[in-house]
Amino acid sequence: MNDTPLDFGDPADLDDLRRRFRAWLAEHPLPERGADEPLPTFLHRWHRQLHSGGWVGLDVPQVYGGQGLSTLHQVAISDELGAGAAPGIPRIGYLAHALMEFASEEQRQRWLPRMLAGEDVWCQGFSEPGAGSDLAGMSTTATREGDHYIVNGQKLWTSYAQYSGLCLLLARTDRSAPAHTSISAFALPLDRAGVTVRPLRAANGDDEFCELFLDDVRIEESERIGAEGNGWPLAMTTVSYERNALDTGHISKYGLLVERLRRAARDRRDELPDGLRSEIGRCFVDYEVLVAHAARRTAERLAGRTAGPESSYDKLLMTRTEQRLYETALRVFPEELFGDGGNGAEGGELFGEYLYSRAASVYGGTSQIQRNIIAKQVLGLPSAR
Amino acid sequence: MQAEEFLLVQDLVRTFAGRHRVESADLEPSARAAAQKALGELGLAELRGSSPPAATVQECALLAEEHGSQPLTTSLLGTVLLAPELLRLLGDGAAPEVGTTPTIALARDLRFPGPPGDGLVAWDCEGADRALCVAPDGTVTSAELGPAVPAADLLRGIRSVPPGSPAATVGRLGPEQLTHWQAYALVLLSSELVGAARSFVRQSVEYARERRQYGRSIGSFQAVQHLLADATVLVEAGTSATRYAAWCLDNQPPARALTAARVAKAEVNASALDAVSIGMQVFGGIAQTWEHVAHLYLRKVLLGTTTLATTADLLTTLAEPETAR
Ligand SMILES: Cc1cc2nc3c(=O)[nH]c(=O)nc-3n(C[C@H](O)[C@H](O)[C@H](O)COP(=O)(O)OP(=O)(O)OC[C@H]3O[C@@H](n4cnc5c(N)ncnc54)[C@H](O)[C@@H]3O)c2cc1C
Repeated sequence: MNDTPLDFGDPADLDDLRRRFRAWLAEHPLPERGADEPLPTFLHRWHRQLHSGGWVGLDVPQVYGGQGLSTLHQVAISDELGAGAAPGIPRIGYLAHALMEFASEEQRQRWLPRMLAGEDVWCQGFSEPGAGSDLAGMSTTATREGDHYIVNGQKLWTSYAQYSGLCLLLARTDRSAPAHTSISAFALPLDRAGVTVRPLRAANGDDEFCELFLDDVRIEESERIGAEGNGWPLAMTTVSYERNALDTGHISKYGLLVERLRRAARDRRDELPDGLRSEIGRCFVDYEVLVAHAARRTAERLAGRTAGPESSYDKLLMTRTEQRLYETALRVFPEELFGDGGNGAEGGELFGEYLYSRAASVYGGTSQIQRNIIAKQVLGLPSAR
Repeated sequence: MQAEEFLLVQDLVRTFAGRHRVESADLEPSARAAAQKALGELGLAELRGSSPPAATVQECALLAEEHGSQPLTTSLLGTVLLAPELLRLLGDGAAPEVGTTPTIALARDLRFPGPPGDGLVAWDCEGADRALCVAPDGTVTSAELGPAVPAADLLRGIRSVPPGSPAATVGRLGPEQLTHWQAYALVLLSSELVGAARSFVRQSVEYARERRQYGRSIGSFQAVQHLLADATVLVEAGTSATRYAAWCLDNQPPARALTAARVAKAEVNASALDAVSIGMQVFGGIAQTWEHVAHLYLRKVLLGTTTLATTADLLTTLAEPETAR
């Protein structure tokens, strides 16, 4: 294999897009969050506002309500939002990709425009109490009865299900076939009879994830995404996009915190111990390496080399960056360990974000699972059995 | 360079590296000289010798990766890529000494040279007969070479610079040129080290597939798989950082390129060393022998991490915002 020079630069029209977006943002700033308004509701308003300006789904074809531009364009907008300390676009990119790749034409037209507009909010019902890393071991079943299915089972960790209208649900449609050919994907409306959503409180006090109980829930055949038994490749596409450095708006947010730490290193030069100062330098290195890595993956994608199992590199590098960054930030700003984060969870806002950074090595496939993927699928190392 | 032309040059370097790689730590002086002569015949010093240069920094960085991937005694960095770049930067103002092959001079601890009067060595000096020293103020002088200086890295030649040797002033770099020069040197050294780490990790992955214990290949043990996966991610991080920094040298202002180059060196200092250490662990006892190439890689990477700028130097500098911003 030959490694050839890559162009790490932005295509020319991106500058223009960024300028237009900044101008739009100046006229349509982030709305005020209501006193009792839950964060997801507030973010949902923000999503609709961004969509009204045409800033959601830039990389989705126009027939499905997008702008027909490239991933790079969407990434540039995420970048601008992060750099302006504004919340990102709700993370629908990977769901949209799964639908574009696996749903029928009729389904794409039915769901994608509403997903992009924020008229339908989707959640992801993959994990179960008995099926976390070993997703293929799920036991929720969808049993066919003529033109529909009856679903029974339980999902866990379903983020924001309590604020969602639709769930991208995985269930077993065949109990005899091997796991990877017996799982199917569905779009389940959460107001359907037999669905119970119970929120769980996260360690940082947020209501993010939920339990989902499914008792004799009827799902129509037209709500199945792709062919029966084709849910596994859909799930793998979804999680691989979820791991990709390009499709998440995190990076520029890390950049803001890193700069805050570097300013502290300068302004408190005599006070901060040398060890902590080099730790700040190390956080900056992690962040810049991540920026370089994302730029390289973009350039490779544009050069026609696509994202495969290598997205596990992205996930591990993002995790490394995020976890060290928040650990260091708490040592630079120890006052964040005190006080009330605003949701009764004790500790400052930075502490809440620190707690969330601990989840980075768990969600989207744990760090151990990413290493398994690299070992088997990239390095071709043999299996134990 | 045109894409096809670059592939040809890259292939030349790869073939050269495969042919002249050393198989053990018992090095023959005559083989060293022959390898350097063969490298000289590839004519690569022209790549950055002309103005504007024939090859981009990114192309040179990829060649340095290729050269680093094998245990080689040849001086690609010092005599072929770094010294010619320095002379190119000095341009017509330089007073080149006809018929000489310069490499570059570093401080005795292998960092960038300090103020005049501090001791110097000629670094990566196989085949060189002069050493160009860039002082912190940008003044470039040319010094004579003394006897060899033994060092941990058995591959890379280092010679002393006699303290009393008269140093002729060759020219002077402007502030931007000095910044460019430092960034360029950091990026190319980082690239060579990343090439070494990548290659050694690849060799240890192959070994993990072949070596059997407990009736199965050791590469099927998850503990070994995770070590190799970590080493792979470290190599990828170093690769992204160095190639991006090289691109910055071709396309961004020198100050930005220097920051990216410092980041790349800081990343590679840590990740290349960790990756090679992991590779050695996977080889087990065999990698602890004099005959095995493992220690050649380790020595090169270890000394490389302290060359030009140490991790401590870099992290302290990078901890604060750039003043210009
Ligand atoms: C904040 C957050 C949001 C989430 N949102 C969603 C969501 O919206 N939808 C959804 O479906 N899921 C979601 N998840 C679930 C997430 O995907 C799972 O938590 C994750 O896949 C791990 O599964 P588990 O928690 O059951 O841990 P387990 O799989 O039980 O793992 C426990 C430990 O064992 C290790 N382990 C397991 N198997 C192996 C192996 N083969 N080799 C080596 N080590 C192994 C793991 O690395 C881990 O350290 C979310 C999780 C979090 C934390």
